[in-house]
Formats: sequence, structure tokens, C-alpha cells
Amino acid sequence: MNSIPAPTIEYGTLAPLLVVFGAAIIGVLVEAFAPRYLRKAIHVPLTLLSLAGAFALVLVQVLRGQVSTTASAVGALAVDGPSLFIWGVILVLSFVCVLLINDEGHFVASAAAVPGSADEEEAESAGGGHTEVYPLVLFAVGGMLLFPASHDLLMMFVALEVMSLPLYLLCGLARRRRLLSQEASMKYFLLGAFSSAFFLYGTAMIYGYAGTVSLPGINQALARGAALDPLLMIGLAMLGVGLMFKIGAAPFQAWKPDVYQGAPTPITALMASGTLVAAVGAVLRVFWVGLGNLDWNWRPVIWGVAALTMIVGSILAITQTDIKRMLAYSSIAHAGFLLVGVMATFGTAEQNASSLKAILFYLAVYGITTVGAFAVVTLVRDPGGEAGHLSRWAGLGKRAPMLAGVFAFFLLAFAGIPLTSGFFGKYAVFAAALDSGTQPGDSMGGWMAALVVVGVVASAIAAFFYVRVIVLMFFSEPSADGPAIAVPSMGTVTVIAVSLLVTVGVGLYPESVLGVADDAARSLFIR
Amino acid sequence: MESQIAEIAQHTGGVIGLSWLMIAFPLVGAFVLLVFGRFTNRWGHLLGVAMSLASFAVAVLGFFELIGFGEEERRRAVHLYEFIPGMVDMGLLIDPLSISFALLITGVGSLIHIYSIGYMSHDEHRRRFFAYLNLFVAAMLLLVLADNYVGLFIGWEGVGLASYLLIGFWQFKPSAAVAAKKAFVVNRVGDFGLLVGMFVIWTTFGTLTFQGLGEQITPGTENGTMLAIGLLLLLGACGKSAQLPLQSWLLDAMEGPTPVSALIHAATMVTAGVYLVVRSGAFFFPEGSGAALAVAVVGAATLLAGAIIGCAKDDIKKGLAGSTMSQIGYMMLGAGLGPAGYAFAIGHLITHGFFKADLFLGAGSVMHGMNDEVDMRKYGGLRKFMPVTFATFFIGYLAIIGFPLLSGYFTKDGIIETAVHHQPILGWLAVLGAGITGFYMSRMVFMTFFGQKRWADDAHPHESPSVMTVPLMVLSLGALGLGAYLVLSNRLMLFLAPAVGRPEELPAFHFTSTPGLATLALVAVGAAFAWMRYGRAEVPSVQPRGSFLTTFARRDLYGDALNESLFMRPGQWLTRIAVFFDNRGIDGLVNGLAAGIGGSSGRLRRIQTGFARTYALSILIGAALLTGALLLVGNI
Amino acid sequence: MTTHYLILSGLLFAIGAMGVLIRRNAIVVFMCVELMLNACNLAFVTFSRQVGNLEGQIIAFFVMVVAAAEVVVGLAIIVTIFRTRRSASVDDANLLKY
Repeated sequence: MNSIPAPTIEYGTLAPLLVVFGAAIIGVLVEAFAPRYLRKAIHVPLTLLSLAGAFALVLVQVLRGQVSTTASAVGALAVDGPSLFIWGVILVLSFVCVLLINDEGHFVASAAAVPGSADEEEAESAGGGHTEVYPLVLFAVGGMLLFPASHDLLMMFVALEVMSLPLYLLCGLARRRRLLSQEASMKYFLLGAFSSAFFLYGTAMIYGYAGTVSLPGINQALARGAALDPLLMIGLAMLGVGLMFKIGAAPFQAWKPDVYQGAPTPITALMASGTLVAAVGAVLRVFWVGLGNLDWNWRPVIWGVAALTMIVGSILAITQTDIKRMLAYSSIAHAGFLLVGVMATFGTAEQNASSLKAILFYLAVYGITTVGAFAVVTLVRDPGGEAGHLSRWAGLGKRAPMLAGVFAFFLLAFAGIPLTSGFFGKYAVFAAALDSGTQPGDSMGGWMAALVVVGVVASAIAAFFYVRVIVLMFFSEPSADGPAIAVPSMGTVTVIAVSLLVTVGVGLYPESVLGVADDAARSLFIR
Repeated sequence: MESQIAEIAQHTGGVIGLSWLMIAFPLVGAFVLLVFGRFTNRWGHLLGVAMSLASFAVAVLGFFELIGFGEEERRRAVHLYEFIPGMVDMGLLIDPLSISFALLITGVGSLIHIYSIGYMSHDEHRRRFFAYLNLFVAAMLLLVLADNYVGLFIGWEGVGLASYLLIGFWQFKPSAAVAAKKAFVVNRVGDFGLLVGMFVIWTTFGTLTFQGLGEQITPGTENGTMLAIGLLLLLGACGKSAQLPLQSWLLDAMEGPTPVSALIHAATMVTAGVYLVVRSGAFFFPEGSGAALAVAVVGAATLLAGAIIGCAKDDIKKGLAGSTMSQIGYMMLGAGLGPAGYAFAIGHLITHGFFKADLFLGAGSVMHGMNDEVDMRKYGGLRKFMPVTFATFFIGYLAIIGFPLLSGYFTKDGIIETAVHHQPILGWLAVLGAGITGFYMSRMVFMTFFGQKRWADDAHPHESPSVMTVPLMVLSLGALGLGAYLVLSNRLMLFLAPAVGRPEELPAFHFTSTPGLATLALVAVGAAFAWMRYGRAEVPSVQPRGSFLTTFARRDLYGDALNESLFMRPGQWLTRIAVFFDNRGIDGLVNGLAAGIGGSSGRLRRIQTGFARTYALSILIGAALLTGALLLVGNI
Repeated sequence: MTTHYLILSGLLFAIGAMGVLIRRNAIVVFMCVELMLNACNLAFVTFSRQVGNLEGQIIAFFVMVVAAAEVVVGLAIIVTIFRTRRSASVDDANLLKY
């Protein structure tokens, strides 16, 4: 009998993942065995500590200079510089999102109970919301960590599902406006499953072409196989569907506004920040590590997707009347800006590193600003829940000047006004795109410039609707029965303060984050 | 050319190397007070004061370290970090000019912080007030300490923000909210000028640092671009310093709490325009250039306008606001006269910082004792009830009218004499302005502290607590002696010379020059006239109708009416016309483009039907498109 | 002889995708998605045979597990929404639009 050699697992390198998943599993056990009144008291510290601990473990790897240069877990995962940066960002974002989730009143007491029924009243009076939220969030965060670090397409598919399945459920747990929440959950689930089937079929096609699903293996096969195989092209397109769906690029963006509007706002914040960061990370890895030898083919297509996404996102945002929906379209537009950066990651290692740095920076600052903006949204309330409709935000500047001022600042950061972090994000990404056009041997120089022009026009349109909200808040009279401003809990205050501080701080001193992103990008994705 | 400016040397270490702490202290204070909110209610104001004092301490230490250097080495640049990679580095410039401002801002600022403890003691939002004050101090320091225009602009916007927040601090008063908005909008016009000016500088010279510009611009080069930059910067300065034609916001800004009026709208922020002109003087406002002449003309026009407005106001704070406009007009006039005027402009700026803060805080002290009454017609005879306030206010009054040997006498006289020497017409207008100053300030003092009491029955005038009067006394000391110290033997001029240059020959101070004597005579006439009208005679406690001229002055020289008819009405008409054409289906205008985008947005959003199956279809179509595109690209 | 299996897999995938588009009942829509996943499995196993390594077969096992997890989550969501609305039609749930 042949003995199977035991695989070696780099526990040290994978420790952040193990901590998050371990805590998630403990969370499930808590749900099973701890009495109801104790659960939240156990979950909150467990969740926060595991996220902080994972972040510390990431820091340890970086500070001790132990960033691995080879794939881990028998080639399934690649914990390289960019991965660690993305992990750090996701862990910070999910930490602040958990602070938002902690707030009372976001989650339903019993999801299975019919709204307005006796069952629900009973669950309400028993107190507390669904504490399953915490392990679900941890599983989702674990998936987010796995997704951009996956070194083969199978791992990536599993990570995609581990990330998405808990989010499908979390979307349906809003306490108020249950019908909207459940509808968002169902739409997200059906469309998400649909798109992941495409991803899987694409994987199968590429497996048929390359004989392997490992990303470097695919790239080597691309270098060998000169003939353009329809199998490869179909596989590539379907893979792209799955990835573009997750970052919400047009024409796969349709789910985003509906789901963002319906989901409980803290979960929306998590999706808009963490999921986006993870998905963009995965896109970067697939295109650079797996398809680096095919950039002649995929770049023109991504060009079209990026342009369409920016235009659709910014134009449709103009006529939105719901604040969360508007932020969703804004998120679509930003996905387009990020894709402009993705366009620039090709060719030499140096070129790739400089574009990668810009995107990593963008992800970090955009993510934190987004969480801050959604945190503000949770505070403006009507009797029936959050005051989503924009008309309710009229005159907020007079009723709550601090809150409105902070929100206005986040909007300016989204718009990319100088002295905010958003400005440097956009500047870095557009500059990287223009630079890449001047690379020798690149035939797409003119196209890159055109794309940047589209990006700038889209930014201008986007600035219009951000400023519209600011004008609405500060230059119109508040209605007599305007929304109530909830007294923020300590957690929410912390979230808003941290977001504000980062947005201002990075706006004044971009080198702080840019330097770290540069270090991360220099070590490149493991190929 | 005599007006040689010293080279800027890079500096590390020492207190100057730590000068960023000046900005950091109040910034941290503002942050803590805003973020930790009501947890800091009990000690928040003390933290605010401590941060301001700490900043002052750094400034004083930096000052002493600076004068330890030789005269030619007193321009120290401190590099902080790379701001916009490859474009702008953030750094501070510590030189005689900026350290003078830093001392004024932190010194007077600290006094006003202390005073506010008492003045705002009954306000439930006192902590927030101190947070904004700290924010202001930080931004103002950044404005004057930055070694490039970008940093200056950040500070410029920061003080604008703080000013907006503080004017509207009592936003439950609609007038305060409106005034804050007005200040905001008018200042945007000025900021626009500054911003465009910066763009032109960048495209022309490729740098925005003072050092880089100093290396590129040699004295004597003047062309159309430079003139344009100068005028754009002047527009910025006019907005911030409430100079004609952007003066209208300052009078309304008096809606803010009085310490704010003292700190921001008298002593520091409104002088930022003067700083901008003096700092850019060697580059864009060389002596005798068109831009410099424009500065001087604006200054002279404003000093008269402000003085006339000051004559007619019954609201004590608005009277002082008119006076502030007028005094800044003097500084602008001085700043438009080249190196000979700079030292006097800055000197007047510093002494004005003291005596005007003294006057404003004195007015605040009066209001504090009079149930926040601001109408001087309802005061009268208060000197017996508020002896300390009266004494300090009186010193401030003597200083501002230029009573011999007090602060204002030396600095204002310096400006007037230099102006008469360089631009005789403007100079004599300044003399006339001094006479009017004598009238309206005397009127204010007589109406408030002399004559019969005219206050309401429920008013119980009393002296303010010592936390308010001690700062008053300190400020009045400055109003007494600072001018003589700075001007006699040209101390300030020699100190500033490395930063702004020096004139070909140093002026000697004459106590008996023609313009000086004429000024004194006119001031005496003005004061005597005021005594006849308001000191000896009975002051009616209801405003009389007054002549045409009085009404003209009461209505701020119809500045608002002018703005309204010149800009607002045509603007509204333009909008109406645009709407008219737009309604007729002509989409050519900008409006039309926006409408076009909005319309397509309105149509496009119908695609989002809400049916999950439609979304699935869009995904499928997208998949087909991607496949098709990839196959197409592959076959090209 | 693997081509036939690939064609079958493609057909199954297409039938699944069309089912998602034309069926209204959420359960049926969901089963169509499962059909698509099974089409993928068939393709994996076929390719495994074609390229001569075992990876494809192993992947098929992974996919089964993931599909099972997806069923759990999916049914939970559909049942909840059915209890609230008394309808499992995907077209009835369209409050969120425009």
C-alpha cells in the first residue's frame, strides 16, 4: 500500500484565518449551549476579540518581516503582501461593523416568526435579537479573508460561498421593514447562487483547458497553449460573471441597490466595505496571477465593463430618493473606479506594483468612509425605522449640525474633493491608469486615457448628487415632523469618529496609508 | 534692489523643529472635545484653555530660538511630510513674519479663551464653543505657518469653517443662521479667487512653495500673468478680510458670541488677507506694481467706508465691526505700499489685535452686565457701575483713535505717513478716515459710559467676574505700550526685514510731521463734535430718523442692496431665463445638460424593475456579452 | 468520447439558466440553480477523465457539499418569505425597485 504523505500546513501564516473561523465555530456552540440571556454577553467580546486578535496576528507577520513568498496549505492559499494588507483592511472594517451590529434594535427577535403574529410578540417580549448574527458575521468575514487569498479556483469558489451564504441570511434579519428585508435576502440569494453557478461553470471550462485549477498552473498553460480555445474564452467570461457580480459591476449590478436598501444597515455597511474589498482583491489576483499571460484579451473587455459601471452607477444615482439606494449606486460607481485601476495591473512587476498600491489604498480609504456613512444613516430615524427617504433628510443641518456636517464630509470624500482621503484614492487610481498607458509596448495608451476621461466625467456627475444631498441637508427648511436623531451609542460614536478621523487624517497625510499599501504592493501577489 | 529677502534654510531639531506642536495642541483639543462629547462637559473648557496656552508656550520658545539665529538665517523651513506625492510637501516656515502672527494668535487667543470661561459660563454648549475655538486656533496657525500655498489654503478653509460654525453658534436665532450662511457664501467668492490664483501659480511656476517661488521670481519681473495672480489673490484677501467689495458679511457676523467677534472677526482671522498680501508681497505685489496699487486703493476705500458705517450704528458690536473694516483698510493700504508699508501694516495689525480685542471684550463685558443688550441708546452712564471695564475700554478707545503715545498712534501714523509719501491722495484720505474714527469711537464711548442712564428697568448693570476683567487688563496693557515698543527705533521693521524686505532708507519717527499733526487735529475735531452731540446733549433712546447720509450709513452704504441688485437679481433673472429656454426644449445650456442626465437617469432607473427574474436576465445577457466580447477580441 | 458528456453538461446548464429566467416559484428557481451546479459537476468529472488527473473528481465532491449548504440557507430564506407573504412567487416580491 502506498502511504499518503501528510500535507504540511503553515499554521503560523494561516493563524488569522484560523482564529476567525475558530471563533465562529465557538459562536455556534454558544448558540447551542449557552442560556439565552448570556449569549450576547459572550458573543460580543468573543467576536471583537477574535477580529482584533486576527488583526494582531496579521500585524505580527508584517512587522516580523515574515511575509511568505510561497503558497501555503499545499498551494491552496497565498498569504502574500497584498493578501495581508487586504486582510488587515477587512479585519478593521469588520471590527467597526460589529460595533454597529452591537447596537440594539437592528435585528429581528425571531426571523422565522411572521411579522405581527403572536409568535413575534412572544419573541419580542423574551428580549434580545438574533444572537446568531455574530457567528454568521464571523463566518462571512472568514470567507472574505479566504476569497482574495485563494490560490486556486476551487478554493475561491468555496470562499465565495462561505462569504456569501451567511450574508444572504443576515440580509433578511432586519427588525423594521421586514418585507423589504426578506425580499432583499431572497433576491440576493437567488441571484448570488445563479452567478456562482456561472463562476463554477467557468472554472470547469478552464479546468478543461488547462488541466488544473491552480492559478499559476492556468497561467503556465496559457503560456504554452498558443491556440485561442473557445473553451478558454467561455470559461473566462463565466468566471468573470461571478467575480463582477460580487463587486457589482455593470451589467451585473442590478442586485446591489435592492439588497443594500433592504438589508439591516450594519450589514449593508459590512457588504459595502468588506465584501467589496475582498471581491476586488480576488479580481486582482485572478487577473494578475491566473490570467497574466492573457492581458491582451481581458483588458479590452474590462475596459468596457469599467466604463459602463462608472456611467451606470453615477447616472442612476442622480434620481434616487432613498439614501441607502443612493449610496448603493455610489458603491457601483466606485466599483467602476476600482476597475479602472484593475485595468492598469498588467505587464512588468513594477507596473503592477504601482497600480496595485493605488487600488489597495483606494480600498482601504473607501471602505472606512463607507462604514462611517452608513453609521450616520442608522442614526436618522422615523417611528417606523430608519428615515430612508431623502426628503426626510431635508434641513438636517439645522436639527443636527454635527451629524449632518460629518455626513456631508463623508459625501465629499466619496466625491473625491481635495483634502479628503477620497481625493487621493481617485487621484492615485487615475494616475496609475494614465501611467500604465505610457508603458512601452502597450497599444492601449489612448484607450486608458479615454477611460480616465470617462472616469473624470462620471466623478463630476457623481459629485452632483453628493452635493445635492448636502444642499438638501443645509439649505432647505426642516419639516416640522422631521425624523428623530437617535442618541448614538458609544459603539456608533466610535465608528463614526474612527471613520471621520481616518478620512480626515488620510486626506491630510495620505502617505500614512499609502506607505503601507506601497510596501504591501511591492511584494506582489505570489505567482 | 534693497528689498532683499533672506534665503530660506532647512531646519531640524530644536523647538522650531517641533513647531508643528503649535497646530497639534489645539487640534487635539478640538478633537477630544468634539468626539468625547458630553463626557468632557465638566472640564472641557479648561482643556481648551490649556491647549491654547501650550501652543502659546511653543510659540514663545520658538520665537526665542529664532532670534538666536543671525539676521540672515531667520527663515527656517521645517519639512513635515510628503503631502501630494511629487507635487507638494507639507512643511512649516518659521520666520519673523509667521512667528509674529503665531504669537498674536496664540497670545490673544489664549486671553480670549480665558475670558470665554466667564462669558459662556451660562451656555449649555460651552464645551462645543471651546472645541470650535480650538479648531479655529489650529487652522489659523496652519494658515500662517505653512510654507506653501496649499497649506495656507487648508488653513484658510479651516478658519472659514470655524468662523461659520461660531457665527451660527446660537443657531436657534434665525438671524445667526442666516449670518453664518452669508459669511460662508461671500467667503466662497474670495476663496475662489485664491484657488484660481493658486492654479495659475502652479501652471506658471510649477511650484506652490514660498521657497520655490522665491527662487524663480526675481524682483522687477512684472507681466500680465503676475498681475492676474496678484489680483486673484487680492480677491481672496478681500473676502477673508471684509474689504470692498466683499465686506458685507462682517457686520452680520456679529451675531456670533462676543469672544468670537473679538478673536476671529477683529484680532486674527480677518487679518489673514493682510497676511496673504504681505507674504506674497515680494512675488506678486512688488512696490509700484499695478497689483500693489490695487491693494492700496481697496484699503483706502474700505477704511473710509468702514468708518462711515461705524458712525451710524447704534449696535455697539456693529459699530466695532465697522471700525474693524476700517482699521483693516489701513493695514491693506500699508500692505500696498511695498516694504516701507509692510512693517507698519503688520505693526498696526498686532496693536489692532490687542486694542480691538480689548474693545470687543469690553463691549462683551458691558453686554454681560446688561442682559445682552446691544443697543447703545439703552446704555449711558455706565462708567460708575463698571469701573474696570470702563478703564480698559477707554484705553482701547484712546489707542484706536491714535491718542499720542498709545499703540494706535504709532502704527496708524506710520501707515499714514508712508502713504502720504508714496500715494499722496490715498494718504490724505487715510488722514480723513482717522478724523472720522475720532468721531465714531468717541460717540461710542460717550453713549455707553457717559451721560444719563437710559437702560431698561430690569437691567442691573454690574462689573464682570475677574476671569473676564483680567484678560481685559492684559489686553489694555498691550494697547498702551506695544505700539511705541514696536515702532520706535524701527524694532519691528528690522525684525521683519529678513522675511519681507526693508525699504531703501529706514523711516525715522517724527512727532511733528504735517500729516501727523493734521491727523491729530482732525481726531480732536471729531471727538469734540461727538462730545457735543452725544456727551453733553441728551441722547434719544429711540433712533431718530436722521438725514439721508445717516440712513445711507445705517444701511451699510447699501452694500447689501447693491449685492442684491447687482448679483442676486440678475442671477435670479438668469435662472428664470434659463428655465424659460429649458422649458422650450433647448438643451444647450448647462442646465440642459444636467436635465438631460437627470432625464436619462429617470428613464434608466425604470430598468430596475424590482423583479429578480429580470435581474437574472441581465446577468445572462451580461454573460453572453462578455463571452462575445472575449471571442471577438481574441479573433482580432 | 467525452464530447457527448460535455454537450449534455452544456444542455443541463442552459436548461437550468432558462429555468431561472422563466419559472416563478422560488423553489423551482432554486432547483434550477442546483441543476446548473450539477451540470458543472458533470463537466468537472468529464474533464477529469479527459485531462487525466483526479482534480476534477475531487472538485465535484466539494461542489456537492457547497450545494448542500446552499440548500439549507436557500430553503430557510424561501420558507421565511413564504410564511410572511403566503406566496413563494419571486415576482410577488418586488417592493424594492427603481
